[in-house]
Amino acid sequence: MRHFILGALALVLLAGCATPPPPAPGSAASKIVVMGKFKGIAVGAIRVARENGFLTAKVQLSNITSSNQTMYYRFAWLGADGFPVGDEETWKVLNLYANQATFLPAIANLPQASDFRLEVKTP
Amino acid sequence: MFARFSMLAVVAVLASGCANTSPVLGSKNINYGDTKAVETVTNEFGSTDLQMIAESMTRSLAQSGVLRGRPVVQVYDVKNKTSEYIDTREITTSIKTQLMKTGTARFASDNTDMQSQVDQLKLQNQSGLYKKSTVSKTGNMIAAQYRLEGSISSIVKRSADYKDVFYKFSLQLIDVESGVAEWMDEKEIRKTTER
Repeated sequence: MRHFILGALALVLLAGCATPPPPAPGSAASKIVVMGKFKGIAVGAIRVARENGFLTAKVQLSNITSSNQTMYYRFAWLGADGFPVGDEETWKVLNLYANQATFLPAIANLPQASDFRLEVKTP
Repeated sequence: MFARFSMLAVVAVLASGCANTSPVLGSKNINYGDTKAVETVTNEFGSTDLQMIAESMTRSLAQSGVLRGRPVVQVYDVKNKTSEYIDTREITTSIKTQLMKTGTARFASDNTDMQSQVDQLKLQNQSGLYKKSTVSKTGNMIAAQYRLEGSISSIVKRSADYKDVFYKFSLQLIDVESGVAEWMDEKEIRKTTER
């Protein structure tokens, strides 16, 4: 009986440690890279289009808390081979009021960009 | 024999432990930082402001579709209407560099480069020092189709425990022949310090 309880406990602990499955390729979640901590803000829909030869993106962000939030972000633009094109972007600050939802607009640095990653972090 | 061998082994271990394998030389108080990090050392105009302005303006202009057929653009210095000293040439240089990388525009010699350009043409054509076939001929410089002009202004407000700085950067692309502004954009930045 004792062995059974210990075994069950080990199973529960192991399940708790299991990492969640990676996001499906092409999904909105697969475009978000959390750098360390990212709390209180939810990433929603992502709209991607090509306008005048440049990839443009709009990412929905919602402050899911009842206090103002600050986040740091930058886009990493990738070529068809999945590697970065051009120079790295500078980190930027975004302030979100309590329960505010907003769209983060971005334009690719070069026409060669065909995909992107959004790197996010909260202080 | 065993004692001598052990001593030798100890010396070898100690020597390898002391070997400097780090590629760093000098003081540990000096570090190289991330050039793209958000800089909030003071609330004066800083590197992040310069980078954000250049990034935002370049992309907006490149993606606007105005620059069709890689037109020649003449860049003028950004007018500094703030109370601070800002090296506005660095803003135009960054915008120019980033636009050049997108491949959407070419740039004519601007007001600061023009003298060097004229001097070089004169030297090649008038000094008699150069082989005729290699000399760049005069009268072939390409005139700009557009001129790019900008300004930066600020509103600074202070109270006993607050300092608020609001920067507004404006940039416009004007067709030289018609004088019509074909594109315009602004970037606003607010920086606040609580004492």
